[in-house]
Amino acid sequence: MSISKETLKAMIKQYDCLDISDSELELVLPEIENYLIAANSMADLDLSEVFSGRLYRPQEGDINEPI
Amino acid sequence: MSPSDLLQLSITEISPRIKNKEISPVELTEAALSAAGKLQPQLNSFITILDQQAMAQARIAESKIMNGEYLGPLHGIPIGIKDNIETQGIRTTVGSKVLGKHIPTNDAHVVTLCKNAGAVILGKENLEEFAAGVTSNNLHYGAVHNPWNLDHIPGGSSGGGGANVAARITFASLGTDLGGSVRLPGTFCGVVGLKQTFGRVSQRGLMVTSYNGDHIGPMTRSVSDSALMLQILAGHDPLDPSTVPVPVPNYSENLNQGLRGLKIGIPTNYYFDLINPEVESAVRDSVTALEELGAEIIEVSLPSMKYAAAMRITGMADGIVAHEPYIKNQRDDYGPSVLYRALAGQFVLGRDYSKSMKVQRIIKEEHALVFQDIDLLATPTAPIPAPRIDDDKFALDGDEYPVRGPGSGMISRNTSPTNSTGLPAISIPCGLTSNGLPIGLQLIGRPFEEQLIFQAAKAYETVSPSLNSAPPVTSN
Repeated sequence: MSISKETLKAMIKQYDCLDISDSELELVLPEIENYLIAANSMADLDLSEVFSGRLYRPQEGDINEPI
Repeated sequence: MSPSDLLQLSITEISPRIKNKEISPVELTEAALSAAGKLQPQLNSFITILDQQAMAQARIAESKIMNGEYLGPLHGIPIGIKDNIETQGIRTTVGSKVLGKHIPTNDAHVVTLCKNAGAVILGKENLEEFAAGVTSNNLHYGAVHNPWNLDHIPGGSSGGGGANVAARITFASLGTDLGGSVRLPGTFCGVVGLKQTFGRVSQRGLMVTSYNGDHIGPMTRSVSDSALMLQILAGHDPLDPSTVPVPVPNYSENLNQGLRGLKIGIPTNYYFDLINPEVESAVRDSVTALEELGAEIIEVSLPSMKYAAAMRITGMADGIVAHEPYIKNQRDDYGPSVLYRALAGQFVLGRDYSKSMKVQRIIKEEHALVFQDIDLLATPTAPIPAPRIDDDKFALDGDEYPVRGPGSGMISRNTSPTNSTGLPAISIPCGLTSNGLPIGLQLIGRPFEEQLIFQAAKAYETVSPSLNSAPPVTSN
């Protein structure tokens, strides 16, 4: 899975992102590649019924027990 | 005992002598400042050494003791504070040029707690720029050097603290851990690094972070000292909604109860999959030692950890939000390593952010299930020993990985998952490589069960090959 520089440049323009020059894009790409690999690793997961991650919270009205 | 001999002691050893007026906080602070000044050219572990302020605090600490106002085990003890934790009236740079002149108007909550406990703040410690990496090779303030071998990194991002504790300059240092930044200097510098449960310690006053999974935690020379430090830092902060009002136990109470009856899980996947052979050997030996001490060793499977890298996606998106205003105004003041990692975060899709949070939930639930059958997980802290400062890449299992900057992350693969799950974890020294670099064992526990982690870590510490070992470069 990869993403072209042209696509990234279009995203920068359309989404009002912080600008990145052509030469800088080369330096950013390894981090984007890591992201795409991680995102692709979730492709086989059905997450539709999964709760979102959240912090540990005390039960309302009881400060002694974490959930 | 000479002043430099005093610096070789632990907090647990020295605090009763301070309480009994056998050791003067003023003399101790003078010795620590002298060591800091002497070793700074070699270690570069401080951004700011606070000579005058530290001596003023030491004089107040001494005066209180003479007046019978002993504040507890941190009273009169010189400590270090990572330079991304706010200190009132004292420059706090976050290791950046962007904030090179930033002087906070308030102390971070943890700094207030340490001051209230009588600690003497020796200085603000060097770190990776914006705490965004594992090398502590700082473009603006210079590289921190590892006291075990000055050519190697101390780990990061809290590298100055790790180096100072190992070199017997500070008795403890406060670091911050968003992906392993306390535990990695712990393992690479051969000291104890603690990342407690998320919500156990206030993050208020921690600068330029996502707050999502960041933790302020101590580096110390012993497990007992780590327990003392957490005792001071832990607790609900009404002004930090991420903290949880769970009662704080006595962390030193069960330290000597040993391992008998405890069940320790050894992961059959992920944590040992990519690992330097010498690191694996040392960690496997430490598992054998845990068993000999009475623990039951149980192999456990964590299949969802194959998605662990996906949990970092939220951090990428959070990172660009933290940096955006600074990049907009002072982009030229950024080093490339941080800038280009941060900029990548703006391409993260909302869909993937949401998926990442759900994967976090799956992995949390899987850990919760596994922790019904075991008390602790034992893993290597880092997959490799400390790389050289001039290394751009390292090899592992036939592949090369960047040490820092865009595309990096392999060094923190064993530490960063608990930043997402929030589970408490400690790194304890468990030996040296053949070329004399420290190796760390990581123990991971159930939420808010730091007491049990300390108990097991303390038992192991007494038989660890690292017991009583010190690096070649110290204050002595």
